[in-house]
Amino acid sequence: MIRFSNVSKHYPPSTTALHGVSFHVEPGEFVSIVGQSGSGKTTLAKLLFAEERPTTGKVVVGDWDITDIHRRDIPVLRRQIGVVFQDFKLLARKTVHENVAFALEVAGATSARIREVVPQVLKIVGLGDKAERYPRQLSGGEAQRVSIARALVHRPKIIVADEPTGNLDAITSREIIDLLKRINEFGTTVVLVTHDRDIVNALKKRVLTIHHGKVVSDVAHGKYTLG
Amino acid sequence: MRTFARIIRFSLQSIWRNLWLSFVTLTIFALTLVIVNVVLFLHMTANAALRSVEDKVQVAVYFNPGTSPEMEASVRGYVLGLPQVKTVDAITADEALATFKTRHASDASVLAALDEVGGNPFGDALVISARSPDDFAFILEAVKRPEYVGSIKETDYTDYKDVIARLSLFSERIRWSGLALAAFFALISVMIIFNSIRIAIYVHRDEIAIMKLVGAHDWFVRAPFLLEIVFLSCIATAAVAGVVLATAHSIDGWFLRYIEADISVWHYFSANAFTIFGAEFLALSILGLLTTYVAMRRHLRV
Ligand SMILES: Nc1ncnc2c1ncn2[C@@H]1O[C@H](COP(=O)(O)OP(=O)(O)OP(=O)(O)O)[C@@H](O)[C@H]1O
Ligand SMILES: [Mg+2]
Repeated sequence: MIRFSNVSKHYPPSTTALHGVSFHVEPGEFVSIVGQSGSGKTTLAKLLFAEERPTTGKVVVGDWDITDIHRRDIPVLRRQIGVVFQDFKLLARKTVHENVAFALEVAGATSARIREVVPQVLKIVGLGDKAERYPRQLSGGEAQRVSIARALVHRPKIIVADEPTGNLDAITSREIIDLLKRINEFGTTVVLVTHDRDIVNALKKRVLTIHHGKVVSDVAHGKYTLG
Repeated sequence: MRTFARIIRFSLQSIWRNLWLSFVTLTIFALTLVIVNVVLFLHMTANAALRSVEDKVQVAVYFNPGTSPEMEASVRGYVLGLPQVKTVDAITADEALATFKTRHASDASVLAALDEVGGNPFGDALVISARSPDDFAFILEAVKRPEYVGSIKETDYTDYKDVIARLSLFSERIRWSGLALAAFFALISVMIIFNSIRIAIYVHRDEIAIMKLVGAHDWFVRAPFLLEIVFLSCIATAAVAGVVLATAHSIDGWFLRYIEADISVWHYFSANAFTIFGAEFLALSILGLLTTYVAMRRHLRV
């Protein structure tokens, strides 16, 4: 589903965020990517949805080599990958329903389909009753659920979550992770970037550890091993 | 179609949610158009005035009393044959006296002389309109042919040369200073649009980033901005058209009364409304679209 082959990423003038990273993720896997601040986790995630391009090496998503993806094709890729961020990235002037519908609107979905799908995904994330609220009327956990709902709305094969629990307390974090686990159980591949030790340890899923831009360990059912 | 409707919705939303910015853009658009229309108006009236003065330039040829109709007809035919001549009207002795009197109304000694003579010293006359005010000197010379001199008592002409020269200059000046002024305002428009778009992109940067993250195409991000400019151009043109037509209508009567020339501002603007305001709308839109496009290339990396 995801294959990195000897990927390096250099930021001018002098930062090399990733050095020769190689790994492979099977469809339906749940992978946690851990590492210290500045180790290159976000960079790795950005390569997945073509926010950045690798300096060298090759990135394949599905059967698609996106190493040199054309600008024109990026929207197509992004409709197959749901992205979730620490800061939610919701539109403040749109309601919960509108925020989720927005992802379908930009893709040209019919109004009928929007009316059908949006309530469905809002129900999946447990926000069926808060569709008409604005982001500022939501708790952090609820806002993150909205952004997960938005990520799900295209029925993506992959969800990439970059520190989705970074702004949330421990209990809320657990709820968000449980939600991601449930989504994973329905068959969606999940890539979770985090540095939350408790989360990683509780998940008991594959853990890929990055240090100074290199993969230093890759264990199925791993634990958080950094100091 | 669906997407198009959404883009329209987004651009209307953007106009509405950034009302102040839209208002500033609209104002400057409208100002530019007002200047253009005032220039049009001045240019059009100066031209009309010029034409009407030019029409009044006439050469009169007064025959001796008792000149034979054949001779008069012959002179008339000859003059009509000159390419510089537009029209020739034959008038009777009484009309000739009246014409002469009005033309020399300001010349007391000539009038006194006429009174002294008593009766009508004129015969019939020809009133000749030239095609151009530069031609009447030529026409005056042309009638002084040996076979005619004996029958012609006098020739004269209304001298509007000065007025015409001044009007031409005025019209020319209006054209150039008007164009300069319009260009200046167009430049200000460009700068304002450029900045509005920059601000709009800045205001919308989160929204734009999110649009791209959830898979919007570049054109889907850009189109609302472009459409917004077209909407604003349309509103500005419509507003200015309304103001211009209303003004033209209300000053028309005044104009016809105080200026002798046969000028109808209302007629000018209403008969050419589609051409004038259509062209202004097009020019404004194109100007706005180009500016927006450049601003987006510079500031919106999509
Ligand atoms: N756009 C950029 N331009 C230049 N350098 C960058 C850019 N983005 C990231 N970097 C650098 O690349 C390195 C890796 O950054 P990255 O954001 O991938 O780290 P991270 O593992 O996500 O850190 P954190 O846990 O703090 O989010 C850092 O040294 C960072 O300064
Ligand atoms: Mg990061």
